[in-house]
Amino acid sequence: MTTVTLQNLHKEFGDVVAVNGIDLEINHGEFLVIVGPSGCGKSTTLRLLAGLESTTDGRIEMGGRDVTTVEPKDRNVAMVFQNYALYPHMTGRRNITFGMKSSGDFTDEEIDRRVTEAADTLDIADLLDRKPDAMSGGERQRVALGRAIVRDPDAFLMDEPLSNLDAKLRIQMRAELARLHSTLETTTVYVTHDQTEAMTLGERVVVMNDGQIMQVDEPQVLYDFPENRFVAEFIGDPAMNMIPVDVKDGRAIHETFDIPLPSGNGQPKSNQNGAGDAQITDGQRAILGIRPEDLHLSDPQTNDELPTIDAEVNVREPLGDSLLLHCSIGNTSCNIQAEPRMPITAGETVSVTYDPARLHLFDAETGEAFYHSELRQSTDEQAPSKLTT
Amino acid sequence: MSTREIFDSRIESGLLLLPTLLVSLVFLYYPTALAIRTSFFDSSFGQGDEFVGLKNYVTLLTDSGYHSSLLLSVLFAAVVVVGVIAVSLYLTFLIHEVDTGQGLYLISVIWPYALPPAVGALVFLFIVHPTLGVLTGPIEALGVDVDWFNNGPQAFVVVALAAIWKQIGYNVIFMIAAMNNVPNTLTETAELDGVTGLRRLVSVYVPIMTPTLFFLVIINTIYAFFSTFAFVDLLTSGGPSNATNILIFDLYQEGFSFFNFGVASAKSVVLFLLVGVLMFVQFRVTDEYSYYGA
Repeated sequence: MTTVTLQNLHKEFGDVVAVNGIDLEINHGEFLVIVGPSGCGKSTTLRLLAGLESTTDGRIEMGGRDVTTVEPKDRNVAMVFQNYALYPHMTGRRNITFGMKSSGDFTDEEIDRRVTEAADTLDIADLLDRKPDAMSGGERQRVALGRAIVRDPDAFLMDEPLSNLDAKLRIQMRAELARLHSTLETTTVYVTHDQTEAMTLGERVVVMNDGQIMQVDEPQVLYDFPENRFVAEFIGDPAMNMIPVDVKDGRAIHETFDIPLPSGNGQPKSNQNGAGDAQITDGQRAILGIRPEDLHLSDPQTNDELPTIDAEVNVREPLGDSLLLHCSIGNTSCNIQAEPRMPITAGETVSVTYDPARLHLFDAETGEAFYHSELRQSTDEQAPSKLTT
Repeated sequence: MSTREIFDSRIESGLLLLPTLLVSLVFLYYPTALAIRTSFFDSSFGQGDEFVGLKNYVTLLTDSGYHSSLLLSVLFAAVVVVGVIAVSLYLTFLIHEVDTGQGLYLISVIWPYALPPAVGALVFLFIVHPTLGVLTGPIEALGVDVDWFNNGPQAFVVVALAAIWKQIGYNVIFMIAAMNNVPNTLTETAELDGVTGLRRLVSVYVPIMTPTLFFLVIINTIYAFFSTFAFVDLLTSGGPSNATNILIFDLYQEGFSFFNFGVASAKSVVLFLLVGVLMFVQFRVTDEYSYYGA
């Protein structure tokens, strides 16, 4: 069992705090993705796990063993780097076997058997006698993966392994990584700045910002129930619209619209001080979050009971499968993902409805979510939201 | 062939080249041509040059003293080149691995290189002088009788050590640059693989550094044959009993102690050819084994 536990992990480089108190438990066999913007500390966290950086404070456990100060080679982890990190002067086979031969823990037959096995798994048998110079980016990354899997490590640590590949190859390798993980079922920690990779690969996704964990959840939960503005805006492309409103009488009031907040709704996870029952007080300033795809152009034919919002179209971007409209609602800019081929021109004012089940409210100051209009279906024990009026 | 028109006229570019051309002609090409010419003449002070054909070369072919000097030079060059590369590589690795005070270590390794060879030789003389040397005591404590003023092999070792010591700085400058160019992720991969210490140096760094190392082998070879004159002259004067009489010192003696300009010229032509052939071989080998990145 290789459960990896991080406790209150800190890493400082001089005055710069790269990792600022991370608590995280990575389950055995889990594919955990750490995602965040550049400089959020995600790679540093991974390097701390690998032992390539020493911790400033905190504790790392692997399979119940404290490895905080253990040498990288004694942690039994394998790392895959963005730039592949293949030894340029060695053939694919030498690259794969070099570490095993150095450790001296394996017999030659064992090494041969494992290389053959890994080559089959990754379909790289024909690359074994080539040097990295003579391989494409995808092939190099495959050999690098081969090097990681032959050692049968307790955990794979992957630092943006697909970022150097072109878009098409990236999608292909992504699927391959998912397949590889389902075959090997090795605990994997995968760092990326690409939210698509995070959403598609991760069984759970950690969103980091400024050296801290913003939220850890399954991809869909992360998308549907962001715990704060950062997660809401970071996950999802185009990003969630953030509209400042006043909350009054169970309604969100903006200068140009006034919409009811459905009751019987879900409450996000308790905020840090444990007060799970953050109540909505009357007249509170808040940020209303609505995803662009949850805004629809209202159809005058259907007699919708929902109130409509007027939006002025500034720019239209046909994306093929949808039409992205950059609009203004009052003074707030806002994106709407509309049906493709809609005859809408810039400058036009459109009438927009919304999906009432997909509204979010964030505290105007702290950015913490305090209201989701849909009940969160999860095992988390959470107090249902009390929308007091 | 594309030509780039940087200068307005040929005269302007010619004028800019002139100083370099002039210096090269006067101090390199003309003396070289003259040395080759002189090697076919019997030439000394107070007498006219007399053409003797290949006689000077025949003299060299039959001179057993010259033969041993030739062998000695090759051996000396081998020791110096291998010694410089090995010691510099190890020191570079240590400096590369150290976390704090890298600059200080680097400076202390490089400073002998900053000395003129003659000063370097004198400094080294006082380090290992048989009676006054600061290191003589410690070395004798190991059971070695330091007596290189009289002991031939010891003198050879001392001159070689001095030559190595002087050249380390130059090598370390290039090696540290090359080693720092090795991608960090390779070092980290090696760390994760448990490839540590010298094994990482030999299996990971050295192969990637080969272009730099081969360049240094060539520079060090030239150095060992030509630039070690001062050490021999000031430390041993070729002695005791010719134990350190390498070609460059031998031909100096021939020319400027015995004033046999003809024979001395022939010796310098032979040295020139010898090093030229060595360079050629080294370049061929280099191309075959060097790794020139992707």
